[in-house]
Amino acid sequence: MNSVVTHIGYGHFLVLSAILFAIGVVGVLIRRNALIVMMSIELMLNAANIAIITFARMHGDVGGHSFALVVIAVAAAEVAVGLAILVAVFRGRRHIDVDRMTTLKY
Amino acid sequence: MSFKAADLIYLLPLLVLAVSGMLLVLAEAFYRGKDRAALMGLAVAGAVAAAVSSIVVYRQLAPGEVKPLLSNMLLADRFGYALTALFSVVTALAAMVAPAHQRAHGWVHGEYYGVLLLSAAGMAMLALAGNLVTVFLGIETMSIGVYVLCGLRRRSRRGNEAAMKYFLMGAFATGFLLYGIALIYGAAGTMAFAGIEDGKAFTLAERLVDSPNRGLVVAGILLLVVAFGFKLAAVPFHMWAPDAYEGAPTPVTAFMAAAVKAAATAAAIRVFAYGMGGDILAYGNFGWASPMVVIAAVTITLGNIAAIRQDNIKRVLAYSSISHGGVILVGLAALGLGSGTAQTSLMYYLIAYSLTTMGAFAVVAYVGSRDNERLHIDDWAGLAARHPAAALAMTVCLLSLGGMPPTGGFFAKFYVFKSAMEAHDQQLLWLVIIGVVNSAISIYYYLRIVTAMYFRDSKGAFEPSRSAPLAFVMAVCPLIILEMGVMPGFWLKLGL
Repeated sequence: MNSVVTHIGYGHFLVLSAILFAIGVVGVLIRRNALIVMMSIELMLNAANIAIITFARMHGDVGGHSFALVVIAVAAAEVAVGLAILVAVFRGRRHIDVDRMTTLKY
Repeated sequence: MSFKAADLIYLLPLLVLAVSGMLLVLAEAFYRGKDRAALMGLAVAGAVAAAVSSIVVYRQLAPGEVKPLLSNMLLADRFGYALTALFSVVTALAAMVAPAHQRAHGWVHGEYYGVLLLSAAGMAMLALAGNLVTVFLGIETMSIGVYVLCGLRRRSRRGNEAAMKYFLMGAFATGFLLYGIALIYGAAGTMAFAGIEDGKAFTLAERLVDSPNRGLVVAGILLLVVAFGFKLAAVPFHMWAPDAYEGAPTPVTAFMAAAVKAAATAAAIRVFAYGMGGDILAYGNFGWASPMVVIAAVTITLGNIAAIRQDNIKRVLAYSSISHGGVILVGLAALGLGSGTAQTSLMYYLIAYSLTTMGAFAVVAYVGSRDNERLHIDDWAGLAARHPAAALAMTVCLLSLGGMPPTGGFFAKFYVFKSAMEAHDQQLLWLVIIGVVNSAISIYYYLRIVTAMYFRDSKGAFEPSRSAPLAFVMAVCPLIILEMGVMPGFWLKLGL
């Protein structure tokens, strides 16, 4: 048990963050429900946060830790605005499918 | 390194914008009047105060002097304050365009002014950014505000859709930006563009070049290029721009095209030229300039070709602004490839481009009236006969966008291409040729609007959205553009 914990190094966290980021990007590109697209974007931001925290610990730099907190706050603000837009869209159309939003096409 | 009260004066423009923005949001909550024009006055006052304070600080600094603030979070230099003044002026103009449009199209929301100024505070932060943290914060402060503005017409299907697309694409780009910052931070161990650690001065570029993790550096730089590609609406990351520009209320579109694009450029200049500048990083093994040059060529060309096929004036201007983003990228690449005049040329370009776009959209806002925005090019037929002043203002703006003398747009393109010619080994010669050929192509769709206004018969009289502030914007923008074209000397010195 103890040896497992000590064997988890910085590399593992970076790989985890890269995998989460990739899942997020793929999610944005293939999912059509705007809510799930937003969740994928959140996944990308949190993946970046994991990377930032890992690097901050590697470099022994407190600045990175506080930046991660700033990112969490900013992401929350962004989601608040995003959800408001989503609700407004849903009221008008009764769906939030990004592929069916084609009013703005020539 | 520590914070001194005397440094507060350097933060003044930023603080003025942020505080007046917050006060305006509060004022809206307690406002009892029906019309929101009084809030417009307050917003203009706040923006003008910010512009004046940036000019005051600008004059305090010597040319070429760079003063780090708040432990290298911000860089105070003439370049940054000239841009801050530009953003404040454009914000004031965007506020003045709004009341007539709001009344005519039934979206009288006072929040517009507060959020506009808060967004401008984010832009000021970008203009002064000296650290990847402030770049991220500035871009988010600006973008979140603009998402709100874009969706202000809550009951409009088009407005909602534009806000949704803009938000999803913008947030997606933020993901790339943040991951790029994380990788750069991992490679360099710092997010500041320059600073002192253990008594030794360092720059981000040096740290990146010395970094043992080349993979991190290359991946981080590529992610940042993609993120800025989205923010600048460069092809192939431009899909959101025409839809967002068309669906947003016209004053917001004006703000997005004029100020947001200029602020994204400012951030790109700070990150790529100040943070990752230097001889080794721009080209060579890590090369951010190489992908940027390709993106620039594709952006100028495809933006123009797509604009030719459009019949909706807002979409024409949207694609034209995409193509202009390509020229901005040419300037950025020239800056990275060691051209000495690229920064001043870009400064001139941003001023000319922002004021021109603002003027053009002001005319678009003027021509539309209740229940009919008159965005189709046929609606503009014969405009010169009925509203000669508006048609003249639009013509000057369109000629400037097309890069015809004697307007600011001509010298803007001229100087950017000239600085690209000065780049290392004339590497950008082919790009300049593409740019000049495209300027010629772009004349076609700009003149199409002009000929519609002057040489076609009108379909009948209509009442445009008249208001004094709007008329002011429509008069002042073309005048400044002409002044810039006749006497460019003063404007060229601002970027130093």
